[in-house]
Amino acid sequence: MKGNKENQVDHSLRQFIKDLGYITGGAALLVATAPWLQSFTPEKAKEIKNEKARIGFIGTGSRGQYNMHAVLNIPHAEIVALCDDYPPSLKTASELCPNAKTYTNYKKLLESPDIDGVVISTPLNWHAPMVLDALAAGKHVYCEKAMALTMDECKAIYDAYQRTDKVLYFCMQRMFDEKYIKGIQMIHSGLIGDVVGERCHWFRNHDWRRPVPSPELERKINWRLYRDSSAGLMTELACHQLEVCHWVSGQMPESVVGMGDIVYWKDGREVYDSVNLVYHYSNSTKINYESLIANKFNGMEDQILGKKGTMNLATGVYFLEDDSKSKSGIEQLINQIGEKVFTAIPAAGPSWRPETKVENTAYPILTGKFNVNNGLSMVGAVKDGSDEILSAFCQGCITGEKGKNIVEEAYCATMLCHLGNQAMVEGKKISFPEEYKIPYMSF
Amino acid sequence: MPGQFQFYDDSLMSHGSMDYIMGTRFDIISVGKSKEISESVWQNISLELIRLDKMLNCFDPNSEISHINNFAVQESVSLSNEFSEILLTCKEFHKRTLGLFDITLTDFTKIDFNYNSKSIQFQIPGLHLDLGGYAKGYALKKINQILVKSTVNQAFINFGNSSIFGIGHHPFGHSWKISINNPYKAGEAIDEIDLIDMSLSSSGNTPSYPKHIINPTTGKYDDSLKLVCVKAKDPVVAEVVSTSLMIANQRERKKILRNFEVEFTQTYTF
Repeated sequence: MKGNKENQVDHSLRQFIKDLGYITGGAALLVATAPWLQSFTPEKAKEIKNEKARIGFIGTGSRGQYNMHAVLNIPHAEIVALCDDYPPSLKTASELCPNAKTYTNYKKLLESPDIDGVVISTPLNWHAPMVLDALAAGKHVYCEKAMALTMDECKAIYDAYQRTDKVLYFCMQRMFDEKYIKGIQMIHSGLIGDVVGERCHWFRNHDWRRPVPSPELERKINWRLYRDSSAGLMTELACHQLEVCHWVSGQMPESVVGMGDIVYWKDGREVYDSVNLVYHYSNSTKINYESLIANKFNGMEDQILGKKGTMNLATGVYFLEDDSKSKSGIEQLINQIGEKVFTAIPAAGPSWRPETKVENTAYPILTGKFNVNNGLSMVGAVKDGSDEILSAFCQGCITGEKGKNIVEEAYCATMLCHLGNQAMVEGKKISFPEEYKIPYMSF
Repeated sequence: MPGQFQFYDDSLMSHGSMDYIMGTRFDIISVGKSKEISESVWQNISLELIRLDKMLNCFDPNSEISHINNFAVQESVSLSNEFSEILLTCKEFHKRTLGLFDITLTDFTKIDFNYNSKSIQFQIPGLHLDLGGYAKGYALKKINQILVKSTVNQAFINFGNSSIFGIGHHPFGHSWKISINNPYKAGEAIDEIDLIDMSLSSSGNTPSYPKHIINPTTGKYDDSLKLVCVKAKDPVVAEVVSTSLMIANQRERKKILRNFEVEFTQTYTF
């Protein structure tokens, strides 16, 4: 039974790669847009077929368990160790993986020679110490986003990564989400023309709280709400979206202004429940970012505005500014006469009215059914690229091959989150600090 | 200069367009004249379109037609010469289409129109004039006069897809060849039509604009999935006949066609 399940999942992963055009050609185009996928060749898949990455889990709360479920379905990985200092989470995780050894101190787990890589799903303030310790212990590391709680910590991780030969991944799952990959490939190939703006938003109507069994656990369980363990909406939500903006433009914004407030959830939390930011690129384009968790009407979207069209990456559709249907065949006629050609041009039909132009046609990025995340879940969505990026990491644990650009993208995105928070706290325009620039960035 | 104008030196071709005029888009391609002549022809055409829009657009509160719609219920409203001529033609067309072409959309006989004194008054409240099924054809006729006067003899006009006029022929073909779009299936052509000094008018419903043709004899909107195309030398005739045939039954259709000079009609059902 288990064997069947494995085959099924293996098939879907191959299908994912195949759908992306890796096997059927188009590899060059794909690699130009998503270089981190170059490790996903059929040859590599064959190479690791009979091996298993031995994975230890640090942090087995809800997100940790979500990641465990994904790893359990990866044929080239096995979960050998679990660590959490919150007993109820460790207990549930252990029931899911009875053969895995359990720890309550992550440093002890890192001492085990039987672990190739660790998956870290802990509060943000723990990312830097755990990632640095794990790399120092010679483990490959997969860590949840954002990269770390402060800019200094991010830089420390980035520097450590330059010195290590270990694999390091951060959960920037949009980089492995098929509709993002295809959509951004379309943008890079010029479908929507020059990118003239980016608009991202994430709306929810929820207090962002977890139930707390006893009051002394408040900060531990609701770590997202307190400044010493969280950078709020920016690192928890915006991080993914700012990564997408960087991926699309290949550029870092040079400055940011913003306003952050606690508008509705005045329950003692320290992080904003409402953020509005404008990031400014040197070419004068901007990212408009908005997140609010007291109204969910607008949902979540990563929208790229081009001179010729609009790409809604989160919902997987795009729109063209001037649909050929409304151009009355006149452009075709102009081209025909210019090229001395005579054929029929599409023109006649019921009266064209501007109203029909306002109802923009939505073209899907992918053919067939695909998954769209409404952004409401606090744990994680299905088929949003998380399974694939974990699978890629587990492959890296076997081959030792670093994931191209993944740490760099996570670094850029997280830095933009912190820069945004700084702009909101200080209430002024903040330029990107020299000391945190890395060669990967271009401004 | 209103609208957009572009000249292509290599092919002596000019393209004039207006994104929004008389409720839709207007494009004209003309071939064979210098840039200066083409530009001045476009100037005349675009100004004429704006003038007609000001007179015939019932959504413009300052247009002559709006003035009539606002006041003809209470009193006799005097008409411009041109509007009188238009009403006279519409009255004639109302008769020739067995009442199906009706610019009141309810009952044309309930207006008192006096051609000699150039005045109009509505007999019943709630009446109003709507030249939706006429104005574009009329505009094409006026534009054709400008083209003839300027000796432009190769031109193609697309007035919102539903009114098309081919003057002369394509520079590399014997006609202006156009395909008819399936309004219910984007990108599918259902027919091809050649135009040489000929206009083509299409009437029909679309998924986003399903009920907009009213049958004045029943007061009901037509919601059938069909498209009527009429080819005629006179763009006004093409316009009026296509609108009428959209709501005519078989018997009416035969009678109406006897009353007009048309080259070709075709009804496509979906």
